[in-house]
Amino acid sequence: MITNNDSNQETSDILVIGAGASGGAATAWLAEAGFNVKCLEQGYWQDPSKYASASKDYEFEMLTNWAPDPNVRQRAEDYPVNDSNSPVTPVMFNGVGGSTILWTAHTPRFHPSDFRVKTLDGVADDWPISYDELEEFYDLNDEVMGCSGINGDPANPPRSPRQMPPLPIGNDGKKLISGFEKLGWHWWPSDSYINSQRYGEGRDACNFCGHNHMGCYQRAKSSTDITYWPRALRNGATIETGARVRRITTDDSGRATGADYIDSKGNEKHQSARAVIMAANGIGTPRLLLNSASDSHPAGLANSSGLVGKNLMFHPFAMISGTFPEKMDTWQGPLGNIGLSQEFYETDKSRGFVRGYTYQFQRSLGPAWIAKGGFRDPVPWGEGHHEELEKRLGSVMAMAVIGEDLPEQHNTVDLDPELTDTDGIPAPRLNYTLSKNSRDQLDHAIENAKKALKAAGAEDIFVDPMMRQSGWHLMGTARMGNDPDKSVVDKWGQSHDVDNLFVVDGSVFVTGAAVNPTPTIQALALRTADYIVENRQDLKG
Amino acid sequence: MTNNTSSANINEKLLTAILDRLIPAVGDVPSAGKMGLSTEIVRLSGQQARFQGIFNNAMQMFELANSEFILLDSVDQDTAIRNFESHKPELFKSLLTISYIVYYKDARVHKRIGWSGRTPQPEGNTMEPWDDSILDTQRKREPFWRQV
Repeated sequence: MITNNDSNQETSDILVIGAGASGGAATAWLAEAGFNVKCLEQGYWQDPSKYASASKDYEFEMLTNWAPDPNVRQRAEDYPVNDSNSPVTPVMFNGVGGSTILWTAHTPRFHPSDFRVKTLDGVADDWPISYDELEEFYDLNDEVMGCSGINGDPANPPRSPRQMPPLPIGNDGKKLISGFEKLGWHWWPSDSYINSQRYGEGRDACNFCGHNHMGCYQRAKSSTDITYWPRALRNGATIETGARVRRITTDDSGRATGADYIDSKGNEKHQSARAVIMAANGIGTPRLLLNSASDSHPAGLANSSGLVGKNLMFHPFAMISGTFPEKMDTWQGPLGNIGLSQEFYETDKSRGFVRGYTYQFQRSLGPAWIAKGGFRDPVPWGEGHHEELEKRLGSVMAMAVIGEDLPEQHNTVDLDPELTDTDGIPAPRLNYTLSKNSRDQLDHAIENAKKALKAAGAEDIFVDPMMRQSGWHLMGTARMGNDPDKSVVDKWGQSHDVDNLFVVDGSVFVTGAAVNPTPTIQALALRTADYIVENRQDLKG
Repeated sequence: MTNNTSSANINEKLLTAILDRLIPAVGDVPSAGKMGLSTEIVRLSGQQARFQGIFNNAMQMFELANSEFILLDSVDQDTAIRNFESHKPELFKSLLTISYIVYYKDARVHKRIGWSGRTPQPEGNTMEPWDDSILDTQRKREPFWRQV
């Protein structure tokens, strides 16, 4: 490794670690307010024309070089995660845009009840903020990312109009929905950060290729590299890619002073800053805080509560699929953006568990994807293969269950004693077990999904009771709260211990709700940035 | 990410024989081995070092356990594959998955099953636009989100 401890760079007002969903939003907001913001991102800019969806080997690419699991993808900019003590594997992407590059952009909001689970249901903790306090930032985020959807959902409070009408439902979607209609159950078209018409800077409407989980060639799917980052750069923010942070540095008083990092050429560097914002996701952020232990912070930075890395929450996914007798061209349209059902979202204690779940409706893709077992078991090899493939192709629909996973302190991200990344920085280790409440939720959801699929006419139903590669939603590992003994950051995302250190990613979640978390992550990031603009002008040089 | 250093170690005759049992002939399309897919499987597996390592290991372990595989009749070949599948499920999965991926990108297969064979982009697909009438029933429902 080349060693060149270069600390002569300009001191930034704000140093943001991570250029994904939250880092992009916070950087753009602060740069627009005149702060001198620099971002360090360990990955690189992506060229949409080179996404896997335009490759003739796209199926292979998604299993390997574009796999969502960093342990499978193994790019130089990825870090390994020891997941041997977790039934759920981590799913993320390292690059400008972060995991919004590979997400499906399904973007429901939390419900008001999600912020009050202790008060309402006697479990976990209430958030220190309410839905009402976050609503204006949800709206701001929708405007920048661009939301397709429609008002009137009886399962959610009224809200501002979306920027675009919903994405088409398709014949496959109509078929699945018919089951919910027959049962008298709720469903509603998905909110999606996917353009149903032209919206944003140089961003086309979706052309329904079906592979939005591969990165969007069309730039119709919103990712922060094409939404927040152009705004941020126009307003003077800078970003250094290929920059892997080793530790957040502190002075003798324990305040953050910047970060030590390794640049893309292997040089050891230091970036000084008046404040640091962590936006490295619910695994990367606790990893870095724990790697930043010092004399002032012997248990890790911002960790006087001992809660950094604890209370890890995923949304454990079950997947229930059905094969229909009709051919419905299920590969047409965004994969997971038809609609959702929140019939069983709110607590009903007669079900034997607290909190609830969302169904996210899913399409299925082409013949190779079907054959290798997309959303279900692979098509059998040997005699009978062709008959089964033809039966499933264009006829499989599925429902993903997103259950609310409550925080438990024994579910953790800590530092692996042996595993490191390619720069020798200790890698994160997951320790996670599924709670009985979460298991009961999933089992309840599976039985009801079978009813819905049968009501819709499905003939062959397959259940995956918990998908292993489903750790998209990384939450809770630097939770927010009013009590410094029971939380890592305050209600503004500011560390209780270090007044110039902030966390804006999913780490701050107190509870996880039962929806995809990114709009909430980004709304919280904007809220923290707004707090800094309004209250921390002392951080401006 | 490309690593072709050990591709030469793959026994393509063995791979061809396995392919013939995994994906049999149908209609005017021969079995996967007779289609000559083994070369493409070896090439594609070399596009990522991690996958190539798993795939090569699968082939080596299979050959070690079934040195006479090519000489067996079809019933015994199927039995050998099933044994491997049950004893080395992860290795077998890599073998099956790449076999399916390569088979289903072949133009002869596309023609038979009526698949366009296009990459997902740039052409995409067309869909009927959003029609609000599908929400007529749901719009009649009273709000049921939980007030706090």
